[in-house]
Amino acid sequence: MLDISALLDEIKASPYQESSILAPHSGVLSLSPDLAPGSRVQGPHGPWKEKPGTLLACLEREHNRKEIRAPENCEIVSCNLEASGTFVEAGTVLARARHKLSREEVLQILLKKALFLFLAPEKARYYFIPQVDLKVKNSPPKSVSVYNGMDLFIISRMKRESSLSYSGPDGVIYAVYFSFNSNMEAGSPLIGVCPPDMVRQIEEVSLRVQTEWQEPGEA
Amino acid sequence: MDTDKKFQQIIEQLNYIRDILAGKNNENLRLLSSRLEDMQSRLPSMNQEERLAAAESLDDLFSFVEKKLEAELTPMDKVRIVRHPQRICLRDILENVYDNYTEIGSMNEHSIDPAILIARAYITRRQGKKTLRQSVMVIGQEKGHGEEIRNGGSVKPWGNAKALHYMKVAETENIPIHIYVFTPGSYPIEDTPGAAQQIAKNIYEMGSLRVPVLAIFSEGGSGGAEAVGLADKRLMLSHGYYSVISPEGAAAIEANLKESKRRAPAELIEDCARNLCITAEDNLRLGYIDEIIQEPVLGARCHNFEFFRQLRQDVLRATDEIVLSVRGIEPIRSMSLRARRKKTSEGGLNLETVCMRWNLSAAAQERLLDLRHRKFRALSQKAHDDTRGRLQLFKDHLSSFWWEFSSYFKYDLFRRSQQNFSNFLRELHSETTFFVKKQTVPLRRFLRPLLPLFRVRRKRHLEEAKLTALSTWEEPQEQRGGNWAYVSPRATDDRAISCPNAATHGCLDMWAPDLFGEFAGVCANCGHHFPMEYKWYLYNLFDPESVTEFNTGIEAINPLKYPGFDLKLAKASAQTGQKSSCMTFEASINGIRLVVAMFLAPFRGGSVGAAEGEKFILAAERAGKKRYPFLAYVHGTAGIRIQEGTNGLIQMPRCTMAVRRYIDDGGLYLVVYDTNSYAGPVASFLGCSPYQFGIRSSNIGFAGYGVIRETTGEAPPPHYHNVFKAMARGHIQGIWDRRETRFNLYQAMLTMGGRNLYYQ
Amino acid sequence: MDLHEHKVLIANRGEIAIRILKACRKLGLEFVCVHTQEDHASGHVRLARGLGGSKSLYRISSYHDANELMAVADESGATAIHPGYGFFSEDYRFARRVIQREREMIFIGPSWRIIRELGDKINTKRLARSLDVPTVPGSDRPIYDEMEAEELARTLFNFQTDNQIRNPLVLIKASAGGGGMGIEEVHDPDLFRSVYRRVRNYAARQFKDEGVLIEQRIRDFNHLEVQILADRNCKTLVHFGTRNCSIQSTGLQKRLEVAPGFDPSSVSYNFDAAGVLEQIIRHSLNIAHKVRYDNAGTWEWIVTREGNPYLMEVNARIQVENGVSSAITRIRGQEGVDLLVEQIRTGLGDPLGYTQEDISFEGVSLEYRIIAEDPEQRFTPWVGRIERFHQPEEPWLTMHSHVPTDEPYDIPTEFDPNLALGIIWGRDLQEARGRGLSFLKKMILEGRTAQGEPMKTNLEFLKKKTGDILKF
Repeated sequence: MLDISALLDEIKASPYQESSILAPHSGVLSLSPDLAPGSRVQGPHGPWKEKPGTLLACLEREHNRKEIRAPENCEIVSCNLEASGTFVEAGTVLARARHKLSREEVLQILLKKALFLFLAPEKARYYFIPQVDLKVKNSPPKSVSVYNGMDLFIISRMKRESSLSYSGPDGVIYAVYFSFNSNMEAGSPLIGVCPPDMVRQIEEVSLRVQTEWQEPGEA
Repeated sequence: MDTDKKFQQIIEQLNYIRDILAGKNNENLRLLSSRLEDMQSRLPSMNQEERLAAAESLDDLFSFVEKKLEAELTPMDKVRIVRHPQRICLRDILENVYDNYTEIGSMNEHSIDPAILIARAYITRRQGKKTLRQSVMVIGQEKGHGEEIRNGGSVKPWGNAKALHYMKVAETENIPIHIYVFTPGSYPIEDTPGAAQQIAKNIYEMGSLRVPVLAIFSEGGSGGAEAVGLADKRLMLSHGYYSVISPEGAAAIEANLKESKRRAPAELIEDCARNLCITAEDNLRLGYIDEIIQEPVLGARCHNFEFFRQLRQDVLRATDEIVLSVRGIEPIRSMSLRARRKKTSEGGLNLETVCMRWNLSAAAQERLLDLRHRKFRALSQKAHDDTRGRLQLFKDHLSSFWWEFSSYFKYDLFRRSQQNFSNFLRELHSETTFFVKKQTVPLRRFLRPLLPLFRVRRKRHLEEAKLTALSTWEEPQEQRGGNWAYVSPRATDDRAISCPNAATHGCLDMWAPDLFGEFAGVCANCGHHFPMEYKWYLYNLFDPESVTEFNTGIEAINPLKYPGFDLKLAKASAQTGQKSSCMTFEASINGIRLVVAMFLAPFRGGSVGAAEGEKFILAAERAGKKRYPFLAYVHGTAGIRIQEGTNGLIQMPRCTMAVRRYIDDGGLYLVVYDTNSYAGPVASFLGCSPYQFGIRSSNIGFAGYGVIRETTGEAPPPHYHNVFKAMARGHIQGIWDRRETRFNLYQAMLTMGGRNLYYQ
Repeated sequence: MDLHEHKVLIANRGEIAIRILKACRKLGLEFVCVHTQEDHASGHVRLARGLGGSKSLYRISSYHDANELMAVADESGATAIHPGYGFFSEDYRFARRVIQREREMIFIGPSWRIIRELGDKINTKRLARSLDVPTVPGSDRPIYDEMEAEELARTLFNFQTDNQIRNPLVLIKASAGGGGMGIEEVHDPDLFRSVYRRVRNYAARQFKDEGVLIEQRIRDFNHLEVQILADRNCKTLVHFGTRNCSIQSTGLQKRLEVAPGFDPSSVSYNFDAAGVLEQIIRHSLNIAHKVRYDNAGTWEWIVTREGNPYLMEVNARIQVENGVSSAITRIRGQEGVDLLVEQIRTGLGDPLGYTQEDISFEGVSLEYRIIAEDPEQRFTPWVGRIERFHQPEEPWLTMHSHVPTDEPYDIPTEFDPNLALGIIWGRDLQEARGRGLSFLKKMILEGRTAQGEPMKTNLEFLKKKTGDILKF
């Protein structure tokens, strides 16, 4: 049985997550003049997240100026001021930012502990097989069920693709941990599956987080 | 007590006047209110009789001032009259003009759309002992004196669909339709089937309704009005307005307030209302309505019973006239019509006591349709410039006659007999070969063993050569490998371009010369289409050198003398080298000739006015006469050109009816949308085509984001007008890759269309 | 600009990046290397870090992003780009961009028009036929007419029967297709029409082009190559002999290459092998002359069991197996020829400096492609960590590898699975074979997967195949 209270307390003890904002590609960097340690920036917002986040920097490559915007609401911890105005390589750290975990993120952390996780058997790119992919993309969350031995993934590596079947308890896909075209290390979780007998426990987790975790901005 | 009520009425009247003048500093208004206040302050000290006298004198003063105000009403005042909650609405008319009615499909808020009201009603007429109940289908928008559920008469797509449904019912029942237009505009949402799509369908169907249609305009707000307003006779209430856009909307565009929440200043709105020529007098002068129904001073309200009586007479007379104009035999018909008109105008004829049936024979129905088409065809002729000289016009007429004449011979008479003849030949041939074979059997039997000796060696050699030697390739496709006849000038910039879908699809930046050259503006990874110049299509869709433009002499003008618009037109003309946003030409695709009307986005946003409408109609007629397929290539259109007012708006029914005639005659009308296509044109002559296609990444819809947010109070989701959404709504029939448009057009011409295409 | 003032951007990774880097050093040229985050442990990165000066190594987001390469080239002051093989090597748009951008550079490879012209298979086939170069029997343009298609197929069946081919086969492929899509075989003339229609309709829906190509399907053949080199403007054009690349994996990937293409002195063929080699060289040069070929390139041929050569395609780039050609080539009798050096030198505008008469050939050379894969399981790639990698040292052996010998190496999953190339030279076929086997025996390659399973390699497969070299 999962000790939700203990886990929640643990998260509450360090409720921030720090991450780096990297240069997506090389180019000449110009950091936004408003950017300084301590400044707060806004992520994409609006009813459909259609309004872009705060401008952090511009990266110009081949006469094409590209804006780098805040991925989420966060606070800037440090920024790479020396790099501004110079040519930076892909992957250079532009700034570090931290944000208080949102309810959704806390829930995801707890779910990762509660759900049955199906792990990547080897380092590769993973995709759902087309039928499942359509279902996952087009149906409401938590409505795609899997069973032991089901053909579920396509593994792509060394320019070759092969299929991978799911092994584990029957249940419903609650979380997907891989994204399109990203390389997954061996042993990292691919999906989180909730078997029918665990639904109640998962619901409880969700409820506890809803009530006990305060979003930044809430009183 | 009686005087209290009287005073109350006077106070209300004063409030009404105040509403209409909308806080404008008016001397008369000040006079009225000070006199009223004065009177009220003295009221407690007055006896009953004095009070009565005071009330009466006030009443007289009000009547006097109201008449004075009436004469000074500005167009915007009239807009406010029409929008006032006290304005008569359709239910009042049903109560007071008709003798009996039943609402169909609505019970207050329980309706598919409370903004539309449909009723079966009848009017009773007595001639001597004879009583005649004349049934009509009454259709119109219900504003419900400001009831919220009515949405101010803004009809949703399904409301318009219901209206169309009952028009068709009226057609089946062979009874006239009375349309009452009380709408500020259509409700701009794209939910299935979408505002534009439904309005287009309505106009298309109304063009050929086989029953008399009478429309009475009170508030004729652009697309919403056209969705029901196509009629054989169009009457207008004297204080109504009929406009391509609300004055506020025009002012917002004028002041360039696109996405901001600021409002345009009141003076600008007043100016726009005036400049748009939206009043009954304006529209009568321009020819877009047939008559004006005089309203009482400062507009008709529920208590004006005299007005309803007048309205009833006008409605009866107008319906009678529509019927009379098509019934019976020609000389008698016009004679009786003239006689009646004379009598009514002299006041000698009480229409209540004239019995006249309103159903039409099949022949009369045909005449009705013909008259309706001619009526609309003749509209807006003065709203464009025709620089074609007399000689050119004469030539055009002559060739138009020749196309009709030769098409008839070539495709109707000749082809049929030719087919018969070739069938005969084919049979003859098979008979003779059989005969010959039979006769030569002995000879061939003798020769057979010898033949291979001569043939085989030679043949082998020939066949092998065919497999290994270079063959002749007569028509290597010019476009193989992105070898386009026209390349965008943007293909000369040395810079990278990012795809808008890069975040979701992982598209890498493309080099502009590749993207705008070889890739034809299509992202190599996700297929996103960047907009291209119209010339790209002009030179890459059609066979080389096959494009011949016609009617270049028809030019857009500023028919309403809209301030500042001459300059804008001149600028558009200088930038594009075009004289209107519609370019009409003949061209061919793989040898099949077709007529094309291309709407060019760079010329005033591809907006449609009188010149564009006229060119479009002439192109449709040309295609019909020559039996060519007809393509509307919409490189982009922002809608009807608002600066032309109703001159532009009327192109919606006009062009749709031209297209309807063309389709009914067995043509193939194709519409292809590119970049952004919105509003009036999509909601009429474009949206009515059974074969509409979208170039990928284009947007198709009725109203833009700002208008939707303004009207509905909610911002629509991203990609609301995207071509894929339009396809899911059933608006368009296919989505084409730009690079395959030529192939798809050819394919469409081979597989679609009616019976009267020259190549079939 | 003087040859030595150039700075070459190496737009590739792994062993070819290393070979280009070394070639640049031989020529005394400056170089710039690029790498991705995932590929940071690759040998070319370490070498570049060790040998290059400032501005000689950059991290980029992807080897596939041309913009990254251009930006790094500008930043580092590169004057030329060498694409290696794969990636941008045969991308004429990339080659065009390199020379047409505002800050223009040299693309070390044939000029873009030639890459484009020879990149189109139909175009190449028609070009060949116009010069009487033999190509696979069948159509050389898209066929749109059903009658014509049937007639052609019938002729093809007859042609094969006349040439005593058992089980004749006809191939129908969508002319606008590629990557194996829209290709079907027909073995029965009566079935042709239905298969044809299926392919045609597929092509119309998928590629918006109804055209199909109809060809004889050849099953029993050897894969031969002719190595061509020319200087700019095609002033001098030479060949570096032939190669035989018939030993392949099930996925038709080359595993063992040999130069020369046939060895009539020790192996017997039932056709005039020397004549065939001479013929394909002549034809290849003929086409190269015609298009004014101006860099290194490979003409790919198939030779049927009857000894009929057919031109397949032209690879307008340097190839993995260029080393075997270098190994048997002597210029003015000198060994130590490096095709990459020659390619870079002439690509930068240096005249070739010798003619065909100066070139002679000596001995036999083999190239083993050592790959972590499982030949038993349809050559499935093996992924894991290499713990021991030891290559023997012999005077007759050249190794090319990006795998470090002094530390463990995780195989990146992104790229071609080649680990090492072993190039062996012997005075004759027998000696080369013997040396090859001894090399494979001494080669040490060990590793484990994350789950602890031992590494799989194709060393045994290569040993087995060494016996079949150059036998038809």
